[in-house]
Amino acid sequence: MMTIEQIVSAINNGEKTAEQIVKESLAVIAQKNPTINAFVEVFEKDALAQAKAVDQKRARGEKLGPLAGVPVAIKDNILYKGHKATCCSKMLANYVAPYTSTVVERLLAADAVILGRTNMDEFAMGSTNRTSVYGPVKNPVDIERVPGGSSGGSAAAVAAGMVPLALGTDTGGSVRQPASFCGVVGMKPGYGRISRYGVIAFASSADQVGVLAANVKDTALALEVLSGKDVHDSTSLEAPVPAYTQQISQNLKGLKVGLPKGFLDGLYEDIKARLLAAAEQLKKLGAEVMEVDVPFAKYSAAVYYIITSAEASSNLGRYDGIRYGYADQTAPDLNAYYENSRAPFGLEVKKRIIIGTYALTSKRYEECFLKAMKVRELIRQDFKKVFEQVDVLLTPTSPVTAFRLGKGGKSPISLYLADLYTCPGNIGGLAGISVPFGKDKKNLPVGVQFYGPILQEGKILQAAYQLEKSI
Amino acid sequence: MSITKQDVELAAKLAKMKVSDEEATIYEDQLKELFTWVDELSAVNTDGVKLTNVNLAAHIRPDEPISDSARAEQLRNTFTDQEADCAKVKKVL
Repeated sequence: MMTIEQIVSAINNGEKTAEQIVKESLAVIAQKNPTINAFVEVFEKDALAQAKAVDQKRARGEKLGPLAGVPVAIKDNILYKGHKATCCSKMLANYVAPYTSTVVERLLAADAVILGRTNMDEFAMGSTNRTSVYGPVKNPVDIERVPGGSSGGSAAAVAAGMVPLALGTDTGGSVRQPASFCGVVGMKPGYGRISRYGVIAFASSADQVGVLAANVKDTALALEVLSGKDVHDSTSLEAPVPAYTQQISQNLKGLKVGLPKGFLDGLYEDIKARLLAAAEQLKKLGAEVMEVDVPFAKYSAAVYYIITSAEASSNLGRYDGIRYGYADQTAPDLNAYYENSRAPFGLEVKKRIIIGTYALTSKRYEECFLKAMKVRELIRQDFKKVFEQVDVLLTPTSPVTAFRLGKGGKSPISLYLADLYTCPGNIGGLAGISVPFGKDKKNLPVGVQFYGPILQEGKILQAAYQLEKSI
Repeated sequence: MSITKQDVELAAKLAKMKVSDEEATIYEDQLKELFTWVDELSAVNTDGVKLTNVNLAAHIRPDEPISDSARAEQLRNTFTDQEADCAKVKKVL
């Protein structure tokens, strides 16, 4: 698969047409998707029409956008008018988006081509992609293994060479962890950097749209297009969008990189070895690597499960058969109407709603929800202090590499711990990126992660790009 | 933090969801495991911790009346069934 940079250049130079590029992508999808199951729907007709429009624009001598002719996949929780958006749930089986999300609008304005919607864990709750109503996604690196989740379809689509760019969402690691499992780059910008207008909510204080691409430069280019204030999303930040693609070429001399104490304790040896190798490599590139203390970060996963479940229990209240979702119009009374209409939720989704509702009951509110909110505040203060000492943090992305589809990660706690290194980013509102850095003994990709403070996406892209380039 | 099957059933009821007896047993076991783990938070001293705005630098804005009629029409057009400037919704019961 060509990189985004190569595609845009080939189309601008007239070496290829957007139609040719899109047809090549469609051919790869037709060949590989029956096995990988990354796409749940391909918008072939619309994609070809969009590609032709890009070619006509060029023929008229008009300037093309920065993603001209680039095929892009979108996760199944991102709205694109007239197309289904189901969150891979039976609950939204027939939901057709009545408007287009800001992220898709921005992609289209940049002359990108939307190729289809990708598989995901139901309502983005999971880290294996096993809870999708469309069946599991297979990891293109080894089809016996999971691609990670919840944006598993988006990561697999990029890893299989179906598309050079895919959008995902990341509430606790759902872009970065599958990127690590599939050997691609996955970035979650800081909270507020990208608009969430038209993205189906899971946990609003943590949800962010993220980017999956084959390399860091392509990620930077996509982020330039997607970032910025949106009047439709009051949580989007009013701040200029830097030229990330230029920023990344700066060398790392003097960059201060923090390795959080305790993050390596008990870590799987192969991953620990890759992380330490990355730290050594960064030193060779001129960075100053130092150990730092973020004592409360270890509580992030527990805080995450309480707060995001509580928010989900509220956000998913809208699937009541009246506002959204399946409706049982044969119910004899209102209670039965609600209960029957909410029956299509899968087991994991129901469980998170139950956890959230329970944590918000008067009996548990203080010791569960309020406690988690207070610990979150301490975690935030931790990060605020640490970013006064260093520019970026270096951590593992995941404590494990891709496990087998039918085996590992079945216990709820082991699955929750899969988010151990990615949750702090959402709890702290940080920017995070996972970049592939070698393989483990089983020849499976290992990702390392950089964190930066809010609005410092350029710094972590720079560190990731220079590290990637040095391999 | 002890969790019982009744706790699971109460939360499900509050969330307007039906759970079968079998599901309630599964959730009870899983919630027990989860909340035992979450109990580690009780060891953290949070005395005097004040909550700040979750949105960090972003702020929740006050409601603003929309006077743009094109926007109103755009929103109305998201409904397939309309009549006299009103959106028709399906019957509930």
